[in-house]
Amino acid sequence: MPLFGSFALLFALVLSAYSLVFGAIALRQQAVGIPSDRLAETARRAGIAIWVAVAGAAFALVWSALNNDFSVAYILHHTNRDLPTPYKFAALWSGQEGSLLFWALLLSTYGLVLRLRHKVDVKLTAHASTILAAVQLFFLLLLNFAARPFSLVTGSIPADGNGLNPLLQYPEMVIHPPMLYLGYVGFAVPFAFALGALIMKYPGEKWIHITRRWTMVTWCFLTCGIFLGAHWAYSVLGWGGYWGWDPVENASFFPWLTGTAFLHSVMMQEKRGMLKTWNVWLIFSTFMLSILGTFLTRSGVVSSVHAFAQSSIGEWFMWFLGIVLVVCLYFYVRNRDHLRSEHRLESLLSRESSFLFQNLVLLASCFAILWGTLFPVLSEWIQGHKVTVGPPFFNRVNIPIAMFLLLLTGVGPLLAWRSTSWASLKRNFAIPVTAAVVTAIILMAFGVRPWEDAAHFYSLMAISLGALVTATIVSEFVRGGRVIARHTGQNLLASMVTLTRRNTRRYGGYIVHFGVVVIVIGLAGAAFNQQKEQELGFHEQMQIGPYTLICDNYTQEDNPNYSIEYAILNVYKNGKPIGQMFPAKKFFKASQQPDTIVANHSTPIEDLYVIYAGKNLDSDKPIIKVFINPLVMWIWTGVWVLIFGTVVAMIPPISAAAVPFVQRVRPTAVALPVHSEPVEAGD
Amino acid sequence: MTIGVCVLFAAALLAYVFAPGVAFERATDKPRLVYLEERKQVIYENLRDLNFDFNAGKYPAEDYESLRNSLEAEAAEVLAEISALQETAQAV
Repeated sequence: MPLFGSFALLFALVLSAYSLVFGAIALRQQAVGIPSDRLAETARRAGIAIWVAVAGAAFALVWSALNNDFSVAYILHHTNRDLPTPYKFAALWSGQEGSLLFWALLLSTYGLVLRLRHKVDVKLTAHASTILAAVQLFFLLLLNFAARPFSLVTGSIPADGNGLNPLLQYPEMVIHPPMLYLGYVGFAVPFAFALGALIMKYPGEKWIHITRRWTMVTWCFLTCGIFLGAHWAYSVLGWGGYWGWDPVENASFFPWLTGTAFLHSVMMQEKRGMLKTWNVWLIFSTFMLSILGTFLTRSGVVSSVHAFAQSSIGEWFMWFLGIVLVVCLYFYVRNRDHLRSEHRLESLLSRESSFLFQNLVLLASCFAILWGTLFPVLSEWIQGHKVTVGPPFFNRVNIPIAMFLLLLTGVGPLLAWRSTSWASLKRNFAIPVTAAVVTAIILMAFGVRPWEDAAHFYSLMAISLGALVTATIVSEFVRGGRVIARHTGQNLLASMVTLTRRNTRRYGGYIVHFGVVVIVIGLAGAAFNQQKEQELGFHEQMQIGPYTLICDNYTQEDNPNYSIEYAILNVYKNGKPIGQMFPAKKFFKASQQPDTIVANHSTPIEDLYVIYAGKNLDSDKPIIKVFINPLVMWIWTGVWVLIFGTVVAMIPPISAAAVPFVQRVRPTAVALPVHSEPVEAGD
Repeated sequence: MTIGVCVLFAAALLAYVFAPGVAFERATDKPRLVYLEERKQVIYENLRDLNFDFNAGKYPAEDYESLRNSLEAEAAEVLAEISALQETAQAV
């Protein structure tokens, strides 16, 4: 199998080189009028064949893991005989070489779909396919020459492997990396289409329409990946939090921020032919930031909890990033006339300007996080010693930015395209602003003191702005539903469902915004966190907030993969029993590494989060650390809402019933042929 | 054995890539008319959205009139160019 895997990777490299070189030759010949459709077709087919070859290599690696083939160095270093089967499968992305192979597999899968769907626009897809082949060529070069997954062990083959990193032996870790990679890799597709459209001076915005679902799927995967990572950090790392501004966490956030900006600003290009240069550079940046994210994870230039993934292939990524930047700049300079806007910004009070502000704020956040993440590297490079930037910097910069973004999320949908009058503003903002003010008053009545503490101030702001956004969303659904109800006779709820089905993009987007509100409310709960640490012997108790924890027992167990030490705690809330909790510490035998198993009692109000922090060797008593983390469940619930909204937004809309709607046509040189219009849900 | 599998694997992929007599799609440039039709659809969609939002009570009548007039003017320009291109095509 290792031989077959190596061969498949080498053959994939040859195919990607063919797809790139002959795809480019065919495009060049077509540009000067020489027929070359046959050659272009072989390049497209070579692109499809890459998937078969890379899938063959991935299969060979998984097969080797499942069959304990420790002659393969990667399998030796990342698995062992007693490792459960799902984790052996996950070995494919547990280490450097395997995860690069997984990158290549996902990229070739996206490429496969793109090339199979080439009829949507043959010439544009041929450009995108050739650009994608170049990206594939880079990863296959890495896999064949710098990070070979099928390298063989020299000397005698050990009887057992070193095992998988304990931090990765967690169910979410089986799906977190694939989700994140699907997000990272997926941005290659809109990037390829955008660059292709720029190279061929593609007329119109159809490339955006073609890539819209690609971008949304990718964004959704990246969002899932980021939050699965946060949930993994919360559940496994045992420090009581879910986001620590770790450089690798930040790296996944860069393309998410620019991708979010792209998803919004691209609507201006579709609807008004504006911001073409901006959008092209947003998607270029998003792709480059995906590569930078992979570089930061893999290169070890920054210290991270993801240190298990570090190696010395950073230079390859830097060169690739440099080449991508030069190519993008070259074609931008050559064809920038093609990107001239068809309209100008007419008013600061318009949907366009709200998108523009939102974009600027997202980019400011991205830049601040990028700066903070790379600052240790830059400071060491310039001053000779490393200056680390911690969570206080990131929080100080990003929390106000998040507040402003939330405000724009509420304001944007209420503004008209082109310009909005004051009369319109008064009409649309009365209810949302009232909702925000009433929420703020209620919160202060319940003891939130924004004038005493910055954390309280931001929590109050977040929840009040959340109320504003929610009121906006509800009013959009209700008003739209009423229009449908007037024409169809349905009740309001059924009308709102119909409304959503008729314009899935717009109303799915509102559901996504609501998911964001729920997440932000969950994040706002962090201002009221409490924590306590105490030694807890038999039948001793500790008190935190309304909770009492009594140590019933502590014990040990052993199995071939790990030994485990845990405490059995009886938990009471306001004197009433709510159950037992079992915080534990595992010790993995093959890798000789410990791991924390958090016990978490989660409710919509708060999490009671308990860690077995080890034993005091003098007293032989377990040390128990307890956190009360309010509203954390809202974060995970918000992510589900957000995923639901994204799925709704991706569903093709049903066409509207042709309800007569008299439309007055202004006399013009050419009469508009629309006198009877279906009642559509607007965008 | 493994070498044989590798050779067969490569041969099958090469046969797929270079299979003779396969039908293929022609890559053509998008005609101006197609582009204008796309623009027309976008403007019509914008008009429908505007009508819908007006019916939903989002905009006062004056705002609606003004936004609608500018969209109609944009549509008229596109329709005029479509007509001109179609007439030229018919004349040829």
